[in-house]
Amino acid sequence: MSLIPAALATATALGVAGAPAGLVLPQRVRGWVVGVLTAGVGVAGGTAGVAALGGSGWSAEVPGLLPLAGTYLAVDALSGLFMAVAGAVVAAVAVYGIGYVTGHGSHGSHGLGSRGAQAVLPLFALSLLLVPAAASVSTFLLLWELMALTSLLLVLAEHRARPAVRQAGVWYAVMTHLGLVLLLAGLMVYAAQAGGETFAALRAGTTGISPTMRGLVFVLTAVAFTSKAGLVPLHAWLPRAHPEAPSVVSALMSAAMVNLGIYGLVRVGSDLLGGGPAWWWLLVMAMGGLSAVYGILQAAMASDLKRLLAYSTSENMGLVVLGVGAAGLFAHVGNEALAGLALAAALLHVVNHAAFKALLFGAAGSVLRATGERNLDLLGGLRARMPFTAGLFAVGALGAVALPPGNGFISEWLLLQSMIHGLEVPGVTTAIVLPLAVAVIALSAGLAAAVFVKALGVGFFAQPRGEQAAAAKESPLLMLVGMGLLAALCAALALVPGLLGEGLDRTVAAAGHTGTRPVAGGGLRVRLEEVSATLSPLWVLAALVVALGAVMGTVGWATRRRQRRTQARLWDCGGGAPTPRMAYTATSFAEPLQRVFDDMLAPEQDVDVTPVRESAYLVERVEFRNRVPDRIEHRLYQPVLDLLAAAGQSARRLAGGSVHTYLGYGFVGLITLLVVLVVGW
Amino acid sequence: MGLLRKIRDTGQVAEPAPPRPEGGVPPQAREFGGSVQVRCVDAGSCNGCEIEIAAAFNPVYDAERYGARLVASPRHADVALVTGPVTRNMAEPLRRTVAAMPEPRLVVAVGDCAINCGEFAGGYGVEGAVSDVVPVDLAVPGCPPRPDEIVAALRRVTGR
Repeated sequence: MSLIPAALATATALGVAGAPAGLVLPQRVRGWVVGVLTAGVGVAGGTAGVAALGGSGWSAEVPGLLPLAGTYLAVDALSGLFMAVAGAVVAAVAVYGIGYVTGHGSHGSHGLGSRGAQAVLPLFALSLLLVPAAASVSTFLLLWELMALTSLLLVLAEHRARPAVRQAGVWYAVMTHLGLVLLLAGLMVYAAQAGGETFAALRAGTTGISPTMRGLVFVLTAVAFTSKAGLVPLHAWLPRAHPEAPSVVSALMSAAMVNLGIYGLVRVGSDLLGGGPAWWWLLVMAMGGLSAVYGILQAAMASDLKRLLAYSTSENMGLVVLGVGAAGLFAHVGNEALAGLALAAALLHVVNHAAFKALLFGAAGSVLRATGERNLDLLGGLRARMPFTAGLFAVGALGAVALPPGNGFISEWLLLQSMIHGLEVPGVTTAIVLPLAVAVIALSAGLAAAVFVKALGVGFFAQPRGEQAAAAKESPLLMLVGMGLLAALCAALALVPGLLGEGLDRTVAAAGHTGTRPVAGGGLRVRLEEVSATLSPLWVLAALVVALGAVMGTVGWATRRRQRRTQARLWDCGGGAPTPRMAYTATSFAEPLQRVFDDMLAPEQDVDVTPVRESAYLVERVEFRNRVPDRIEHRLYQPVLDLLAAAGQSARRLAGGSVHTYLGYGFVGLITLLVVLVVGW
Repeated sequence: MGLLRKIRDTGQVAEPAPPRPEGGVPPQAREFGGSVQVRCVDAGSCNGCEIEIAAAFNPVYDAERYGARLVASPRHADVALVTGPVTRNMAEPLRRTVAAMPEPRLVVAVGDCAINCGEFAGGYGVEGAVSDVVPVDLAVPGCPPRPDEIVAALRRVTGR
């Protein structure tokens, strides 16, 4: 028996055992048992994924498990990559979750510790691992829906504590099911046209489908998958559900679940449909580019720490989709080498994003648990009170800003390499699109630096600006261990990404770009075979350390002569000592950016001046409000919601409460049906 | 071009340098090496002395040619130029300002009010003279002192 089925069977057994354990066990041991079982699910699933990345494949057919259709499972390198990522994230977050649920003296951790949430958590983890292993339309849709429903239940875990959770839950439920409807329609059309519902049959039957139907299938599935990945314009659930979910769930959703949208896009678009005309990929690139810029701009404006991270997820997924689209475009013009490189860059960014975003959400959860506060304007001063959390957040932020020596830098560098070398491809489309794509990547990377300087600097440094932040205590050990595992993963990805080289090459081949080996890794270095470029992250780090040491040494040497030092109080213009209210807040940090991007963000500001009652010339109170609404959501969703509400209002007139009218409806309906049957047949 | 022409046409308006003032140089002043950064502190003045200080640094008296320069923070300053009787509200800020200056430092009391509370002695808001609050190294009497007297005091500090 090979490794993959054994690992998958173990993961399934642990996940299924976790559900009753969460339901029946008493509070005292529940968190521990469920946490250990969930971590086991992650380790087993991750092992299967790594084995598949190592080159082994597996497929199976269980006819009796699902009525009518049967269950088909298959694991190749493409599934393996996403399973490995999900497995690693699940394992680390499960360890974190034990500390989150069992630790004492916390703000609002009991929501996740309840029976229902603990029963659902292992199932959600299991579904994250099994979705990439599905190999038929019905199996895929079943697992996809299991993932959507379990995540919805987990988002709602803290609904007793805050009414906003329910609203977020409704948004998430509606949007994820809209996505499911599109996916169902797209895959059903595909299966009907291809004459079979297993992935093998779809792959074989795709050549016989007309280009129009192929285009229809691609657009329907791409919109559904990008909605799951949190891309503009179907992102509205993401900044709502992520902040309101418990942080363990946010980490799983943002680091593992949204990836599966990318998986679906690559699986259906590149592998099953086998690529397509340029307009498919230009559409995908447009969505990706828009999400990257819009997501990071909204993140720059956000004061809510978890909302900021959610929008950053939207940005990173946008970059990934930009790479996937570029890969499709290169494959369309026949340049498989560049297509492989772009896809490898995009997939590496998925891995990197999963590592740092799980870590960042973990640290945000640690802050939220200690202070009960997500608003950056009221945080601050946490570096002294929660030194480990602050350090781990800094590691994650370094990954997210796409600067060396962070792990995000490697994948964005690869993405830029593929785009810049893509200019050699002849054609008007590439000449227009690729420079724009390079600009989008550069702009979002620059803004990401501002976003994470804000999150780290305003959230953790300076003095506490609220009572909750002033009373913060460091989180329990297990939460720190879970985050530490993720930080180690970030460091490994940043320093020796070459170890992933072989696996990435196999993944790219499994996605349909055969005959190319884009990333040749020798452990310590990343060499791009096709475009002759090399990067050695370890040398970059060494150079940075040497440069930093040289600067510090020079400064130290220059100031050494002045031996006499005195401690003096801060110069405060002779007035009182500066209070925390004078400190730089997240809102004030974002204000210059808000001015620069005024046209795009359209912030709403109003000033209310209330005069005293006796005289209009004496002011009693001035109120200033500044809000940056999600403009796309405002323009796109509000008209639809208004229309639905208006339709509902007008339909109320039909149900006036009169029994005679209702009987009349029945009578008219029956007559109409009979007339239709008589005339029609 | 208009600016250059204006400079050429105006020429030098500064008065010729008077002879070096009499009187001892404070011992700390030797370390300044002829370059002195000056921070003004209004501890409760009627602003008469401020007008004269401003005049001392205008092109006619031009205290900067002797090495004295006005700065905006006590962290940059060698000399504090204190005017007016010290009011209750300004006593603590004055102490902190002098404490914020790097050593060696000098305090110059400008005007009669700074020396002995002058017209405002005994006022309910007055804490005392400058020397009651911080040690004073040099005094410039007058109500207000003439700009050339202020310049002379600064020249004793710069030694030029």
